[in-house]
Amino acid sequence: MDRTPSLSTAGIPAIISTSSQSSLQLSVHPLPLLNISEHFTRTCLQTDTPSPLIVGALLGTQNGRDVEILNSFELVITGHNEAAILDREFTEVRREQYKQVFPSLDFLGWYTVSPYPTATHLAIHSQFGAYSESPLFLVLSPTAITSASEDVPLDAYEAAVEIVERKSRTVLVEVGWKIETGEAERISVDWVARGGGEGGGSLVSHLQTQRAAISMLHERILLLVRYLSGVLNGQAKKDHDAIRALSALVASLPASQHLEFREEFDTEYEDVQLTSYLATLTKTASTLNDLVDKFLIATANKESGREGGPGGSMHGGRGLGGVGRGRMGSGFAYPRPEDTWMRQTARVYD
Amino acid sequence: MANAHAHAALQTFSIENDILNVPAQHELYKFDTAADKKVQQAAPWSKDPHHFKSVKISAIALIKMVIHARSGVPWEIMGMMQGKVTGDLIVILDAFALPVQGTETRVNAAAEANEYMVLYQEGSKQAGRMENTIGWYHSHPGYGCWLSGIDVDTQNQNQKYQDPFVAVVVDPNRTISAGKVDIGAFRTYPEDYKPPLSSSSQQYQSIPLNKIEDFGVHSERYYQLPISIFKSPLDDKLLNLLWNKYWVGTLSQSPLISNRSYAISQTLDLAEKLQRISGSLSSRQPPAIALPPRSSATSTSALMANLATSDITATPGKGKEKETEKPKVEKERKVEETQLGKAVRDSTKIASEAQHGLIAQVLKDVLFSARPGEGIESSTAGLGGGVTGVEQQIAVVSGSS
Ligand SMILES: [Zn+2]
Repeated sequence: MDRTPSLSTAGIPAIISTSSQSSLQLSVHPLPLLNISEHFTRTCLQTDTPSPLIVGALLGTQNGRDVEILNSFELVITGHNEAAILDREFTEVRREQYKQVFPSLDFLGWYTVSPYPTATHLAIHSQFGAYSESPLFLVLSPTAITSASEDVPLDAYEAAVEIVERKSRTVLVEVGWKIETGEAERISVDWVARGGGEGGGSLVSHLQTQRAAISMLHERILLLVRYLSGVLNGQAKKDHDAIRALSALVASLPASQHLEFREEFDTEYEDVQLTSYLATLTKTASTLNDLVDKFLIATANKESGREGGPGGSMHGGRGLGGVGRGRMGSGFAYPRPEDTWMRQTARVYD
Repeated sequence: MANAHAHAALQTFSIENDILNVPAQHELYKFDTAADKKVQQAAPWSKDPHHFKSVKISAIALIKMVIHARSGVPWEIMGMMQGKVTGDLIVILDAFALPVQGTETRVNAAAEANEYMVLYQEGSKQAGRMENTIGWYHSHPGYGCWLSGIDVDTQNQNQKYQDPFVAVVVDPNRTISAGKVDIGAFRTYPEDYKPPLSSSSQQYQSIPLNKIEDFGVHSERYYQLPISIFKSPLDDKLLNLLWNKYWVGTLSQSPLISNRSYAISQTLDLAEKLQRISGSLSSRQPPAIALPPRSSATSTSALMANLATSDITATPGKGKEKETEKPKVEKERKVEETQLGKAVRDSTKIASEAQHGLIAQVLKDVLFSARPGEGIESSTAGLGGGVTGVEQQIAVVSGSS
C-alpha cells in the first residue's frame, strides 16, 4: 500500500525534481504524524495564524536504503522566509536528550506543515546537513484533506543535486512512503481513534475490529478485480508490474497449508481450548465451593439451634473432592422433609 | 468508497464512547498564562484532598507513554507529563521520557533525572510548549495499574512540594494482551487523611502473587481518577486516514504470539494462587475439636453476615485466618471477594483473551487457506470447518465472559 508520488505536475514549484525518484524505502509511524498534527494545532492557536512556519526533527532507524521514522520533536527557528535560521543550540541539546532515552533512534531529518515545499524550506533543509548525512524532509498538508481523501496528505523528499542547463542546483526528490505500526502503537492509536473509554477489550469490539479489517481487505480485492476485468475488456491500461505482483500473490495462496504450520496452528488451537477448559473447571470448582459453604452455614445454624453449639457442623470432609462425589445431589433430587435432609447430609459429612 | 467504509467502521466504535473532539476542545491546546497563575495561587487542591475528579490525556501524550512503556519491557520506565489544571480536571498535553530504568526506586530516580527534567522543561517553553510539569508516569509491566508503597511515597512528596501533580501508571503487557490501553491515574491522600470507606473507586484487577502484599497495604492511601482522551480535529482526520493503512496490522499481527510470554507468566501465577487456595481449603479438614469455641462462633456469625449481604461468600477458612492475623481488617472488609472468586475472574480473563487471539487466527486461516474453487469447510477440516470453528470460538468466549 505504498503511497506513490503524486503525478500531478500542476502547481509544483520548480524545486521539485520531475525526472528522478528516490530509491529509499520509507516507513512512517503514526506517532510522528500525530506529533506534527499537535505541533501545528497548538502553534496555530497560540499565534492566531492559520499557517505558521513550524519545524521539527524526525527520529528513526536507517538500514541501508530502509528508513523508518518512529518519533519526532519540535525545533526552534528564528528569522523569516529564506532567512529562517535553525536554533542550533536548542537542536543539539534536544538531540542529545532524545539519544539518552531512545538510544536506538537517530536524527534522520525534519518536518514542516505546508501545502507544498517552498524556497524557504529548501533554505532550512540545507541547515540539517550538520545532523544527518542526507536528511529526509516531510511535508504535511492538512488543507489537502477532503472528505474524499484516502491517503494521509504527507509528502516525503530527499535532496539531490540536479544539473540543468549546465548549472548544478539542489532539488527535492520525492520519496514514496508507507505507514508502519508497532503493536503497542497500533493498540493505543486505535484506542485514541475510538475516544478511549472501555471499548477494545470486549468480545464485541474485538469482532468489530476484525470485521472492519476484513471488509477493508475485501474492498481492496474488489478494486483489484475491477482493475483486472478492466484490463481484460480493454478499458484499463495493462501494467505488467502490477499484474506480475498480483499473480505472485495468488500463487502464494493458500498461505497456511504447510504441514509444519498446520501442526503449530493445531497446537496453538488446542492450547487455547485447554486454557478455556481449565478456566471452566476453576469456575465449576468455585461454584461448588460456594455451594458447600452456604450449605454448611445453613446446617450449622440448624445444628446450633438444636445442639447448642455450631462446632459440630464444622467437621471435616469439606474438600472440593468430597463434594464432587455427589452424595449431596441425591438430597436435592429426592426432596425429603427439610429437617431430615439436613441431618442426613450432615451425617454424610461426618 | 473504501474510505466511506472505513469511516463507518470507526463510527461504530465511537457510538458508545464519548468522543471529545468538539471545537470547544480546541481550548485545551491553548495555554493561558494569566489563568494558570491564578489557579496556582488559589490552589484549591490544597484544601480538598478530593479536589481533582478526572484526567484528560491528549492523543500524543497517551501514545508516547504507551510506546515508551512498551519499549522498556521487561523493565519499568519513567517519564514526566506536561499539562494544566482547569477546575477539578487535570489536562495532560504532552509527555517525555526520563533516562531512568529499573525497578521500584522512584524517589531517587526522580532526583537523578532532575537535571534532565529541568533542561527539557526549559526547552519545551522555548519550543512553544508552555505548560508546566503536571505529573509523572511509569510502567508496571504485567502487574496492573496501581500504586506501590514507593509510588505512594513518591507521589506524596510531589503533592507536597509541586502540586498540582498526578501519577499515571501504564501496563504495557496488559495493553497488548487485552488489546486495549491499560492505564490508571492516581492522587494520594495527605498522610493524616482518612478516606471515607465507600470511596474505593478501583475496579477489580488481577495482582500477581509477589505483588499482592504491596498492593493491599497501600490501597487506602490514594484514589483513582477516571481518564478520558482528547484529540484535535486534525488528529481526527489523520486517524481516519491512518485506518485506511493500518487495518493491515490487525490482520498481520497475532496477539497469541506477541502475548505468549506474558500469557505464560499469567498462567503460572494463577496456578500458584490456585495451589495456595487448595492448601487453605484442605486445611479446613481437621476435625472441629481443634477449634477454639470462640473463634468458630465469630467466624460463623461473620459468614452469616456475608451470606445476608451478598452472594459472594467468604470461606470459613479464610475468615479464620484473617481473624487471627488482622482482626481489624476483617471487620472493615466483610464482603471482600474470596481468593477462589478472584482466581475465577483471573482465569476467565486469561481464557477469553486467548480466545480473542484464536478467533483472529481462525479467521485468517479461513481467509488465506481457501484454495480457489474449494469450499472453506474442506480447507480447515482439521478444525471442524472454518466457519463453524469461528462460531464455536464465539460461543466459548461469550459463555465465559
Ligand atoms: Zn510503580
